[in-house]
Amino acid sequence: MRNASETTRAAAPAAERTAGNRAARPPLLRDPRRLVGVGLLVALAVVVLVFPMTTSVGYLLSTGVVILNYALMATGWNFMGGFTGYISLGHAAYFGLGAYAVAILIDRTGMSPFLALALAPLVVVVIAIPVGVAALRVRGASFVIVTIAFVLILLLVAQSWASLTGGSTGLMVPRAFQGLMRTEHHQVFYYIYVAALVLALLVWWRIDRSRFGMGLKAVREDEDKARALGVPTFRAKLIAFAWSAFFTGLAGALYALWFGDLDPVFQFSILMGAYMVLMALLGGVRELFGPLLGAIVVGLAIEFFKAEFGDTQFHLVATGLLLALVVLFMPEGVIPAVKGLFARFGPQASSIREVSAQQLLDGTQDAPDDDAPVAPGGVGRVR
Amino acid sequence: MTATGTVTGGALTVRGLSKAFGGVRAVDDASVEFKPGRINAIIGPNGSGKTTFFNCVTGMIRADRGTVTLDGRDVSRATPDRIARLGLGRSFQVCRVFPRMTVMENMLVGVRSTAADLWRRADDEESLERARGWLRRVGIDHLEHSEARNISYGQQKLLELAGVLMAEPRIVMLDEPAGGVNPALIGRISALVRELNAEGRTFIVVEHNMDLVMSLSDHVVVFDRGRPIAEGAPAEVQTDPRVLEAYLGV
Ligand SMILES: Nc1ncnc2c1ncn2[C@@H]1O[C@H](COP(=O)(O)OP(=O)(O)O)[C@@H](O)[C@H]1O
Ligand SMILES: [Mg+2]
Repeated sequence: MRNASETTRAAAPAAERTAGNRAARPPLLRDPRRLVGVGLLVALAVVVLVFPMTTSVGYLLSTGVVILNYALMATGWNFMGGFTGYISLGHAAYFGLGAYAVAILIDRTGMSPFLALALAPLVVVVIAIPVGVAALRVRGASFVIVTIAFVLILLLVAQSWASLTGGSTGLMVPRAFQGLMRTEHHQVFYYIYVAALVLALLVWWRIDRSRFGMGLKAVREDEDKARALGVPTFRAKLIAFAWSAFFTGLAGALYALWFGDLDPVFQFSILMGAYMVLMALLGGVRELFGPLLGAIVVGLAIEFFKAEFGDTQFHLVATGLLLALVVLFMPEGVIPAVKGLFARFGPQASSIREVSAQQLLDGTQDAPDDDAPVAPGGVGRVR
Repeated sequence: MTATGTVTGGALTVRGLSKAFGGVRAVDDASVEFKPGRINAIIGPNGSGKTTFFNCVTGMIRADRGTVTLDGRDVSRATPDRIARLGLGRSFQVCRVFPRMTVMENMLVGVRSTAADLWRRADDEESLERARGWLRRVGIDHLEHSEARNISYGQQKLLELAGVLMAEPRIVMLDEPAGGVNPALIGRISALVRELNAEGRTFIVVEHNMDLVMSLSDHVVVFDRGRPIAEGAPAEVQTDPRVLEAYLGV
């Protein structure tokens, strides 16, 4: 099952093979693919940063904030789902906890909203760790069910513990910034969200290339094999889970301060958790910017459906359809799909012409033991 | 590069190990001592509990009873990752690699890390060099950038072995290394095992290929119905009546 691209990779230039992945990188201006990537990134940054200055329409600005909130949540989700492959459908738990933590901290202790904003994600982590210790002992569907159970428990608690949470009537969150106009309020939170998102992306990127991240990705591929190689999988999963809860909780805390009114049914909803999964899957869970891209696409779609059809169940159907389409046609997400197109039609990273004569003589571009994949068992066994 | 360094230690003692699946006593009160520096073979009919024995020793499944001691340390209750970090590496009967990772990434998973090192780049120059050393030794260094799922089964077996070695084990347990691979590759794997053993690593090899067992091992343990029924030098074991009985059912 060797294909053309594999042969090309196998025959990578000798310089690349000896100097390593990093040292062999050509300068940026000579590398079309990286150039496109960096160009897209700069364009995205400019659009994101300039957008709030171009409009004073409150609705547009608040849509921007909503989408950044989705992006932060989905990126937070991807610390767990992307790295380890553990799909949590109940991540709204940490979103809701972050929101209620900020509100209750301000309300009960009278601390400054900014201090509460800094503490709330840590409170979420403290609650998430024992949940993780329990949930991460099981895999697959069982894990999904545990995460859903937790968000449902929290919903019940938030609804019934009215003295603390305000119950079903909801909870008002004191304002962080006094005397701001509505548009200014949106603009300020827009930029705070951008800062939080950049922080989340930086941490994800750092983990992605680290030894710790390699261990997590090994868990995603084959957890038992990873353990057999000495990866402390339980601890690694727990740390990833804590980061995931931290950033999802941060999104919740920011949301509380921005929106100013908490309703348990919205804060602890399975649907919100499903959105995070959909956004990350759509963009690509192996990609740094996958959840962000997914959040932009899905977020805009959700807002559009809500604006066009009101608060009906229609957007639910649309969400379900979109999820099915993604899983069927782009299981890797949009970014890898587009990259794949680039790889097919764009210039090759290393063309076949770059094979040196020495390599041809050595025959190193040929696999030495090209035995076809054989299922072991039964072949030539002595009983 | 540790690829040529010598390794010391590697004693494994198993006492009274038992594991039942429902009514099936897969491993039944097995006691074996593996001395350091040897190539030990475990042979026995299909279903005699060799793989289950491996899984219990490496912590992949929890034994019902028994103790496992690795270089004097009791690891009976230890997690598989801890046992691996203590120097016991293993391969799987059905070869397991990380399919969506490149060959190089497969190697980097095994890099030993202290807590302080966890944030270091996975592909630092030192790890890359060490990984390349092992890939060269098993003969698949030209596949460094290939995804593991795209290489042949034989190459995957070599990758699995290289990956295990990357984690610097003193004891290497191989579950049917010659299963499903062509004769040329069997020769290469057995030559490698011999070299690696000469550098001090202890081997425990489950194998069905009798020629390989007889030529490779210093010590043979024969399993039947979940426990060792005979052990000794290959030539002795070959003529042991109990072994013949277990194998031929006479
Ligand atoms: N996970 C399992 N669940 C139930 N039975 C098992 C399991 N693993 C092994 N067995 C049973 O245990 C016995 C020993 O199997 P195994 O250790 O694979 O033997 P071997 O490797 O010597 O062929 C067999 O009867 C097998 O069916
Ligand atoms: Mg077996």
